[in-house]
Amino acid sequence: MTGPKKVLIVPCSGIGKSYGTVSREAAYQVVEDDRPGQTRIVPLALLVMDDEETRQLLKENQAITIDGCKLACATKMVAESGGEVAKDFAVLDVFRRNRDFKPSGIAELNEGGKKLADALAKEIDTEVDNLIRKGGQDA
Amino acid sequence: MPEFMETTVDKFTFKVATDRYYSEQGIWALRTGKVIRIGLSDYLQQRSGDIAFADVQPAGTQLEAGGDVAEIETIKVDTTIASPVSGSIVTVNPKMELEPEVINQDPYGEGWLCEIEPMNWEADLEKLLEPKAYFIVMKKEAEEEAKNL
Repeated sequence: MTGPKKVLIVPCSGIGKSYGTVSREAAYQVVEDDRPGQTRIVPLALLVMDDEETRQLLKENQAITIDGCKLACATKMVAESGGEVAKDFAVLDVFRRNRDFKPSGIAELNEGGKKLADALAKEIDTEVDNLIRKGGQDA
Repeated sequence: MPEFMETTVDKFTFKVATDRYYSEQGIWALRTGKVIRIGLSDYLQQRSGDIAFADVQPAGTQLEAGGDVAEIETIKVDTTIASPVSGSIVTVNPKMELEPEVINQDPYGEGWLCEIEPMNWEADLEKLLEPKAYFIVMKKEAEEEAKNL
């Protein structure tokens, strides 16, 4: 796949858990609202399936991973797929920095979960900006 | 290094250290010299999830057996930890403030909560479970929980 380089956002695929939902909501916010054109979401399932096009994307672009729990599936899968993890975020660490934003809910997050996803997205935005400023990506 | 009994329920393996006593909640108590060191069992820490905050009562706090000694907060749950012994807190594990995840990483070692100077250890001991008894209680609880998954 060719085209302008983008920062790839690889969120946790944890289904049925609030922190998985937080990671995905944050990823959607970055890719669709905050930094469209500069970022692209990569579903973890494609890496698990060893999708060739996705592996190629990882070889050509830097990735930011978002892990919902200590298993760190997103970070591990990017590394195993030959990609470069420019920065890994853990929902738990962001929660520690934002104790008032306690998430609950799965299909739909509560207010705390939405605020936590927003806080996480803003941290990712900053990292995307740093990566682009370093010149590795074309916006 | 303590020895362990262990069981696997569903995909999870739980260990019980054999050198200490337990409350039914899953709080262990280990006598080390003049103080009782307490912490969470492997089962309790796994069931609680990744620990984000551990607020332990400060040194000097007087406790009744069964009284609140700490609050554990994970993304999943908030759990009040009941002291298995009566007495006075003499030391809080300094790692609880900045590295509470050590409870998940090493529940029977570095992840201890605090040390208590006991007021009535012999009486408290009668209400605690020996490792084999706790192992049975824990295993039954884990199997019940697995059925509800």
